[in-house]
Amino acid sequence: MTPNALCFGSQFPVTGSPCHVEITPSGMRVRLESQPSEPDDGLIPFSNLSVSSGGLHHDQLVVQWSADSDRRTLFLKDPEIIRSFRETAPKDLTGELEEAASKVRKIRRRRRMAWIAAGSLVAALALFMWFGSNVLVDLAVSRIPIEWEKKLGEAAYRDFLAQQTVVKEGQAVAAVSEMTRRLTERISDDPYEFQVTVVRSDVVNAFALPGGYVVVFTGLMKKAENGEEVAGVLSHELNHVLQRHGLERIVKQLGLVAALSIVLGDQQGLIGLTKQVGVELLTLRFGREQETEADVTGVQLLHRANIDSHGMIRFFERLSEQQKEPIEILSTHPMSAARAARLKAEVAALPKQTLEPFTFDWKAVQDSLAGS
Amino acid sequence: MKSEVLYPGAFPMVRVELEAGENIKAESGAMVASSPTIDIESKMEGGFLGALSRKLLTGEKFFFQTLKAARGPGEVLLAPTVPGEIVIMELDGLNEYMVQKDGFLAGADTVKIESQMQSLSRGLLGGEGFFILKISGKGPLILNSFGAIHKIELRPDQEYIVDNSHLVAWSATTSYHIERAASGWVASFTSGEGFVCRFHGPGVVYIQSRNPGGFGNWIRQFIPVSE
Repeated sequence: MTPNALCFGSQFPVTGSPCHVEITPSGMRVRLESQPSEPDDGLIPFSNLSVSSGGLHHDQLVVQWSADSDRRTLFLKDPEIIRSFRETAPKDLTGELEEAASKVRKIRRRRRMAWIAAGSLVAALALFMWFGSNVLVDLAVSRIPIEWEKKLGEAAYRDFLAQQTVVKEGQAVAAVSEMTRRLTERISDDPYEFQVTVVRSDVVNAFALPGGYVVVFTGLMKKAENGEEVAGVLSHELNHVLQRHGLERIVKQLGLVAALSIVLGDQQGLIGLTKQVGVELLTLRFGREQETEADVTGVQLLHRANIDSHGMIRFFERLSEQQKEPIEILSTHPMSAARAARLKAEVAALPKQTLEPFTFDWKAVQDSLAGS
Repeated sequence: MKSEVLYPGAFPMVRVELEAGENIKAESGAMVASSPTIDIESKMEGGFLGALSRKLLTGEKFFFQTLKAARGPGEVLLAPTVPGEIVIMELDGLNEYMVQKDGFLAGADTVKIESQMQSLSRGLLGGEGFFILKISGKGPLILNSFGAIHKIELRPDQEYIVDNSHLVAWSATTSYHIERAASGWVASFTSGEGFVCRFHGPGVVYIQSRNPGGFGNWIRQFIPVSE
């Protein structure tokens, strides 16, 4: 006779006494494990019982009755017993039981609804963050003063440069300064004072931080065939700053993390993961729309500065063609056919320009970098 | 399987004696020392998906370790990560316990562990997360706490209020709902309690005398910020 229920009462242990319950046509027979022979063979008539649901998930049948001047409570979980109880017990008792069961069903339904509602809320919020938030982000970004942006960028810029070898003088620096001057002269109402630093590194890349801080790696200058190609990349990066793309990313990301933490509280596992994935994806690169925007405005800026706009297109195309090992700039700016076509179309749409060549000799600039 | 708590207090350890062929499961990383007759296997309790859901959802370890007295009888010493008491309970096959995710230390092989989803309000406000461990079956179950462990015994319909972050385990015959600590929202939070759980008997509730989250916040102010 294996016990199938727990019996509680003032003389029983607080975790309940295991007992065996059997349903008979006249009532419920309860045999306690500790005292096998109860008076009347442990039979309690249905008329003495009252039922409800209980337990943590309201999934247990709770039967109560009075015995030996004590109130006994029985917790039943075995579905077999519960079924036979429902089938055998008189209507007035099962009526109570059905009421209890429907209450449980209601609780469960409500709980399910709450989960669905919360789930859809999270999903809607996530969708909104991904797709619909641009307006909000733009609004937020437009409210951030340039001064703040500069402070933010400057801190990151200093941190970065502190660990790098900065090229302070020489032909490379002079060449980059000339490109920067040519380009920035043509920016109307420029609120930034652009600082472009040449950093000695084989990384073929350049990047811009919010506030007008731009880094060009010597690796990029070594790969470029002429100054126009570098100027093209530079123009693209300057336009990330002018369009405040970095700030947009940060605002978006902060918003997302904040929303996630608010919605999910501080639950360890799930959030840790989501947050990490989300943040990594977002910090990895500018959005595609932002790249396109920087491409288009970059080409326009080159045109205004009378620098050959084909330089940038040629540079990326050549790199993609001869790519043997992964080149960093291509991982963040993949030269897809669509991008090339768009850039070419953009260039073709511009009025004819009178090109003004740079004053430096590109070969000499590259030679000055050689051996480093 | 015989088990005994050594050095009761803040830094206890459990000695489990295993007969030949017997095995126990323990939280991974819990083993301190063992006889050479004991083999350690890591096992994904509840299969891969079960383990994955437990890992992702409760933050509990992906693997449990199974310690098996494969080559004759032997003993194992087990200890939790955090300072705090250890309690050994005997599951009777009928009582089930809900255990918050850091509370499980070890259990007999006959003890069944599942992760279970809580209701939304309990998950959001209860302080144990959305998923907790549901432990059932028969045999010894070893729990650990942060600080001392205290057992609250509830008779049928008796109620008791517990601060949500002090919960360790509670029997499935109890039920609880979450309510504000004080009557007003502001007072609830300024009292430092926020939400509390009102437990309804019968059954037992194990609570820990220290709040891990509170301790984390307190210790954070002493950790030097690295540049």
